[in-house]
Parts: sequence; C-alpha cells; structure tokens
Amino acid sequence: MSTAAIDSFSEARPARAQSALGETIFRTLCFSAATLLMAALAGVVVSLAIGGWPAFHKFGLGFITSTAWNPVTEEYGAAGPIVGTIVTSILALLIALPLALGVSIFLVEFCPKRIARPIAIAVELLAGIPSIVYGMWGLFVLAPWFATHVQLPILMDFDSNSLIGRIFSGVPNGANIFTASLILAIMILPYMAAVFRELLLTVPSQVREAAYGLGSTSFEVVAKVMLPYVGKGTVGVIMLGLGRALGETMAVTFIIGNSHGFPHSLFDSGSTIASTIANEFAEATSDMHTAALIALGLVLFVLTFAVLATARALLAGQKN
Amino acid sequence: MNDIATPVAPTSPNIAASTEAPIMMRPTGELVLEARQLDFSYGKTQSLFGVDLPVERNRITALIGPSGCGKSTLLRALNRIYDMYPGQHATGRVLLNGEDILSDRGSISRLRARDGEVALNPSGLDTSALRARIGMVFQKPTPFPMSIYDNVAFGVRLHHRKSKAEMDVIVERSLKRAALWDEVKDKLSASGLGLSGGQQQRLCVARGIAVEPEVLLLDEPASALDPVSTAKLEATLMELKKDFTIVIVTHNLQQAARISDHTGFMFLGKMIEFRPTAELFERPQSPRTRDYVTGRFG
Ligand SMILES: Nc1ncnc2c1ncn2[C@@H]1O[C@H](COP(=O)(O)OP(=O)(O)O)[C@@H](O)[C@H]1O
Ligand SMILES: [Mg+2]
Repeated sequence: MSTAAIDSFSEARPARAQSALGETIFRTLCFSAATLLMAALAGVVVSLAIGGWPAFHKFGLGFITSTAWNPVTEEYGAAGPIVGTIVTSILALLIALPLALGVSIFLVEFCPKRIARPIAIAVELLAGIPSIVYGMWGLFVLAPWFATHVQLPILMDFDSNSLIGRIFSGVPNGANIFTASLILAIMILPYMAAVFRELLLTVPSQVREAAYGLGSTSFEVVAKVMLPYVGKGTVGVIMLGLGRALGETMAVTFIIGNSHGFPHSLFDSGSTIASTIANEFAEATSDMHTAALIALGLVLFVLTFAVLATARALLAGQKN
Repeated sequence: MNDIATPVAPTSPNIAASTEAPIMMRPTGELVLEARQLDFSYGKTQSLFGVDLPVERNRITALIGPSGCGKSTLLRALNRIYDMYPGQHATGRVLLNGEDILSDRGSISRLRARDGEVALNPSGLDTSALRARIGMVFQKPTPFPMSIYDNVAFGVRLHHRKSKAEMDVIVERSLKRAALWDEVKDKLSASGLGLSGGQQQRLCVARGIAVEPEVLLLDEPASALDPVSTAKLEATLMELKKDFTIVIVTHNLQQAARISDHTGFMFLGKMIEFRPTAELFERPQSPRTRDYVTGRFG
C-alpha cells in the first residue's frame, strides 16, 4: 500500500518537474514584459530630464515662473504655456462636466432603452474622432463665427477699461484661450460621458428600485442615491477628463493663437505646453531652444502623471 | 435582478392555461390589499394570468412556488415599481383599502408628468406617496450609501418635514421595531454599507417601516442570509405583524410554514391555491400544491 503510493508519486514526478519548468518560463516572460514597460517609462523620464537639463540648469525656478519666452535672445520662461495649459484644461472641464453628467444621467435614467444603446455607442465613437478634425472645425468654423458674433459685439458695446471689457478683451479673430477651451470641452465631453455612464450603471437596479419604492422622484433618486453611490468615482472621471485635456495637442495648436506671453484675458491668445512643443520643435535650431522644449515636455509629463495617478487612486478606492 | 435572468418554466398562455379554478379561501379579516384578476406582461411575454390575492390586515401572507412562477412579478405589480420600466404593464385591479391603484394611471408618460408635479408641488402627492404606502424589501440588501441614521430617515424626509428631535424618535423606533437598535445605537452615523448582510437587511426593513407603510412586501429577504440572521429576521417579522401587514415571497417552505398565516401557491403565472398556511401544508387540495409541498418538484 505504502510502496504503491511512493511508486505513483515517483512516476508523477517527471511530469510535475516539466510543468514547473514551464511555470518558471511563463513567469519570467510575464515579469520581463512588465519590467520592459517600467524600463521604457523610466527611460522616457530620464532622457527628458537629461535633454532638458541645460534649460533647468540655466534658468532654475525661473523656467517655470518667468514669462519671457524668446528664441531670439535665448531666454526661456514657460509660465505662459504652463498657465495656458492649466487654464484651458480647467475651463474645458467646467464646461464639459455638467454636460457629461447630464448626458450620462439621461442615458441611464430617462432615455428609453431602445435608443439609449445607439446613443451610448455614438457617444463612445465621438470620443474616438482624431483631434485634428476638431482642430480644423475650430479654426474654420468656430473661430470666425465666434469672432463676428461674440468678440466684435463685446468690443463695441463695452469700454475697454470696464471690468467686462478687460475680461473679454483680445484680438477679434476667434483664436484664443476661450475658444481653445471650448474645443477641448467638446473633445473630452464624450469621453467623460462614456466613463460616467459606465459608473452609473454599476448602481444595482434593486438599489434604484428601493429608492423609488420609498416614493422618491427621479431627481431624488439620482441626486440622493445614485450620485452618492458612485461617489469618489465622480472625482476619478473628472481627473481622467483633466488628464486628457492637459495633453491634447493638435486641436489646441490650431485655435489657441500661439502667443507665448501670459494670457491677460479670457479672449486673449495664448499657448499650452503641448501646442508650444508642436509648433516650435521643427524650427528649434539652437541647443538651448531644444533643451527648453524638452524641459517643457518633462513638466507636462509630471503634471499629467500626477493627475492620472490621483484619478486611478480615487477610482480604485471606489471599487472596494 | 439575478433571479429574473434564471431559466424558468415556460409561460405561454397555452401551457399555463389550466382548466382548474384556483382554490381560494374565503377571507375572514379586513383586506388591506387585494389583487383581483391581475394580468402582468413584460413587453409581449405575459407573466401573470388572472391572479387573485387577498391580503388581510396584521397577517403575514406567504407566496411560494417554483422559480419563475411569477412571485416577484406579483410583488412588483402591487407597488407599481414596474412603472420604471417602459413596456411592462398590469391589467386587472389592485385595491389598497378599497381604492384601485392601477386604474386611470396606465400610461407611463402620464405617470412621469405626475412625478414632475410632485416635485414642484408637494401637496399634490400621488404616485410617490402611493409607493410610500407600500414598502418593499429585496432579496439582496439595498442599503443606500449614507449613514445608518440617514438610511432610516431617507423615506421620511421625502414626504415630511420633521424636526431633528422628531426624526430621532422615528429613527430609534424604526430600528427597535426592526430589532437592530441594540446593535447599531452607538454607531448611527457610521455608513450603512459597513453592516453585515443580516444587519443590512434589517436596516432595509427599518427604512421601509419608518414611513409607516400599510403593507410591507418582502421578496426572498432571507435567501442571502445565514441561519442566525434568518432566525432574527423571522422573529422581527413576527413582531412587526402587530403593527403592519406583511407579504413575503420565500422558496423556503419551512420558513413559510413557521411565520405565515396565509400561504398562496403559484405555478406558471397563476394562483393555484390560497389558504391558511397550516391547511395548505397539511391538506393541500390541488395535486400541484401537494406535489410542491411534499417536495416532488420545484
Ligand atoms: N424583466 C423581465 N423581462 C422579461 N421577463 C421577465 C422579467 N422578469 C421576470 N420575467 C419573467 O416573468 C416570469 C416570472 O418571473 P418572476 O416573477 O421573477 O418569478 P419568481 O419570482 O417566482 O421566481 C418568468 O417567466 C420570467 O422569465
Ligand atoms: Mg423572484
């Protein structure tokens, strides 16, 4: 009896050993894939840091705080593009968030099932349209319309020294911080709506029914039960939208006006980090100019990484 | 919603049409809620066929029957929760204290309009007030993502303006009636989601009775609970029937036998036999009921 057990055990051994070898190879492969990715990431950061080092070294903190960006005098201060990036992204978010909430709540709560799915799919497709298409539309359609129907009337009706006049001052060509934010908002809207809809769909239907069963109206169910239920996830969606807006390049480059100074009003032209890099990289002849652009890239990397990491952390907290 | 997706017995009219008339007891007490010749359809699929259900005041009425026979559907028709879903509709009569709650409100668009009115004009309560008169507890506990206190106060706040002191009294009384007070009295501001499954289910009962509904509907409330929590919930229900009227769906026959006064056996969307619990279990009259309660199918 005991010998039989030992026999069968020793017989089984070679096969076991083989599968153990396979297991080791499999694990090593997976491990290398993961390592490779981390190495690539680290490589990007390190090479950005090295490439941008001359700029950081020469201008120090001034690289971030100064607004002088002048390839002729070789002076580089990136406060303009940095502020432009943050302002356009946050404005875009403020415009897109209520709309994304509205769209997704409508799709989940009020829209008849039959048309809800096609609309949801359409929203997801919109999120995939290449940004250059939005940029062209912005430049050829939105900007001229905005200049004649919004900027010109404001210029004519308000004294340029009045508060309103100052907030909305700017060359009436429709290429400015505000129209760039508008385009950004249109671009991140479908994306945010799609993610938010998924989030709302995680509310169990029995929880909704329980809320209706107590006599809540639709508004009460959404505001008091469903939104608290998705809770922190909402913040995650906001951060994901922000992450997208921060790095968006082509559409913004088309319509922001591309001036390096600090934007002084809502309708002033400006630039973002991404648009500056896209505009100038091909023409950067001096080493310092190139270094300054690479340093800008690193700033954008850090900014976006921080936003996305926060988003992940919040969404992960939501799932538990 | 899971139970809805499970494969179930066919419900086409041909198969469901049985020639036997339902065996119904003559009600002895006052009827709070009554379904008469109730048909219900999910779109084109009919799931209830001429169901009668008399619910007596301060009694526990149990509904039993094989999975897919329409027990959940019957509950959903009784508090009109199906209004949320276009395409689902009920015909026949559901009387709450003699008032037909199905009539004249068939159209969803009209209902929606009413909901809108209610939001603007709290004195014109209609559908939402009706739903508050018939409470519902589901198979899986459905605590809201808020504190234990706010969970219990939720329904009351929707319909009445109460001072903090009044609300405190209501919350305490409801939690005591649901036999949960002793376990949570020191952590009322903790999240309801942090309770155990059994506690969550009793929290949902407390939330349901806080609005003083006339009838409390429970759909397999113990099926996700362990035996100890189940025993506690059953004791709670027996206690609650002094003040409330209870309809409970269960596929645990012992549970129905232990706690209910009347039992209805349903099969393929029809009420087959509705009688005092002891009689139905000891002397079933329909052969189908006999097969089911003796465990020959289901
Ligand atoms: N949402 C739904 N859509 C379509 N059919 C449904 C839906 N819910 C239930 N049904 C059908 O109605 C019948 C009764 O289901 P249900 O009331 O859930 O049974 P029970 O609760 O007795 O198990 C089943 O045939 C089921 O397939
Ligand atoms: Mg069911």
